[in-house]
Amino acid sequence: MHIMEGFLPVGHAIGWTIAAAPFVVAGSIALRRTLRARPEARLTLAAASAFTFVLSALKLPSVTGSCSHPTGTGLGAMTFGPAVMAPVGLIVLLFQGLLLAHGGLTTLGANVFSMAIAGPWVGWAAWRVATRLGLSTAVAVFLGAALADLATYVVTSAQLALAFPDPASGVAGSFAKFSGIFAVTQVPLAIAEGLLTVVVTAALVGRERSGEAGLHPIAGGR
Amino acid sequence: MSTIDRVAHTNRWRSRSLSEKALLAFGLLVVTLAFPPWPTAAAVLVAAAAAAMVGARVPVRIWGLAMAAPVGFVVTGAATLMVSLGDGGPALAPNGLVDAAALTLRASAAASALLLLAFTTPASDLVAGLARARVPAEIVELALLIYRFLFVLADTFAAMHAAQEARLGHVDWRRRIRSSGLLAANLLPRALDRAHRMEAGLAARGWDGGPLRVMTPRRPVSAAGLAAVVATLAALVGLGVATR
Repeated sequence: MHIMEGFLPVGHAIGWTIAAAPFVVAGSIALRRTLRARPEARLTLAAASAFTFVLSALKLPSVTGSCSHPTGTGLGAMTFGPAVMAPVGLIVLLFQGLLLAHGGLTTLGANVFSMAIAGPWVGWAAWRVATRLGLSTAVAVFLGAALADLATYVVTSAQLALAFPDPASGVAGSFAKFSGIFAVTQVPLAIAEGLLTVVVTAALVGRERSGEAGLHPIAGGR
Repeated sequence: MSTIDRVAHTNRWRSRSLSEKALLAFGLLVVTLAFPPWPTAAAVLVAAAAAAMVGARVPVRIWGLAMAAPVGFVVTGAATLMVSLGDGGPALAPNGLVDAAALTLRASAAASALLLLAFTTPASDLVAGLARARVPAEIVELALLIYRFLFVLADTFAAMHAAQEARLGHVDWRRRIRSSGLLAANLLPRALDRAHRMEAGLAARGWDGGPLRVMTPRRPVSAAGLAAVVATLAALVGLGVATR
């Protein structure tokens, strides 16, 4: 869920950029190290990132009649790990701003924080915990993808609530308003993306078993 | 795939220097955020639209459609400012309409500044500009590769989606989820396969992991263009200061 260009007051835009920066820098350092060691990995990573971008062109049905698009952050975090998602998410969000007018430059920090940091880490953690608890792969993947979406939506609502507190009930009341409005599209979207990701992983595992060229993770090499 | 990208490559300001266009767009953005929305943001909205449609000759319809896209989010968000949640339940917020209108105006002006940059400058030029701004080479290169893959994958995506639709793959909710999942699952291996093929092609040409060199045409800054940009921004700042 993108916050549009110019929507946040200057102080908040700068604050979220500062909050997102350490994650992006740490992720970039990890990325540089990987790319120095294995230059060929950059093509795999580029293809996977472009895949995330193209996924956002998929229209998922939503109850309100409006359509929402999946974010792919849960799938990315489960496949490549949450740390790398910060710089990759930054690049994808930049292109979404410049090619589709989704999001913006001044709100890039806030959007990176909700979609490329909070979403991936929460989704990844949920997936790990679910796997540890011995839940089936399908349930773990569903939780990972759906909770990544929900975390993004909650963080975005909180960002908007902090920027625009309610005159009577303050930040808490404002959070209730924003999360209430966006829940109409975001909760069904999270469920839809969870189911979608289960189908994706099941199909990928099926390909792998049937011996077709399946998923070669970055570590897979040539 | 993207109308914005097509216009960015064909508009009349395509060959103008990146510095001029970036200065204008970022300048408009800063002016929008630095001053109260009325009347500065309204003036920015007009300036950006004039620059895009008169200067760069972006078609009016395309500009209008692109501006309409962010408005949905802005209006939903701004509408919440009009309602206040107090002890007695929801009520109309004092000054809510003014706040909501101000926010809508400011966000629309900022969006128009971003669109001006997006419509006049291809993303590849902007990424190349990042390299000159000393963003680490690995990140810039990754961004350029992603940009290249975007269009290849978008074509494949469109073909797969059309095939599914022709076979009634998107007629109801269940089928949509299933078809979308299968599409994504078939697209990812193809994307990775393309990456492997490109890597093999580069290796065959002796690439050893160093920077990928591409030719970027030189576009010198024109004094007249720069002067026009500075004059526009100065006028807007003047307006902002005078009406503060």
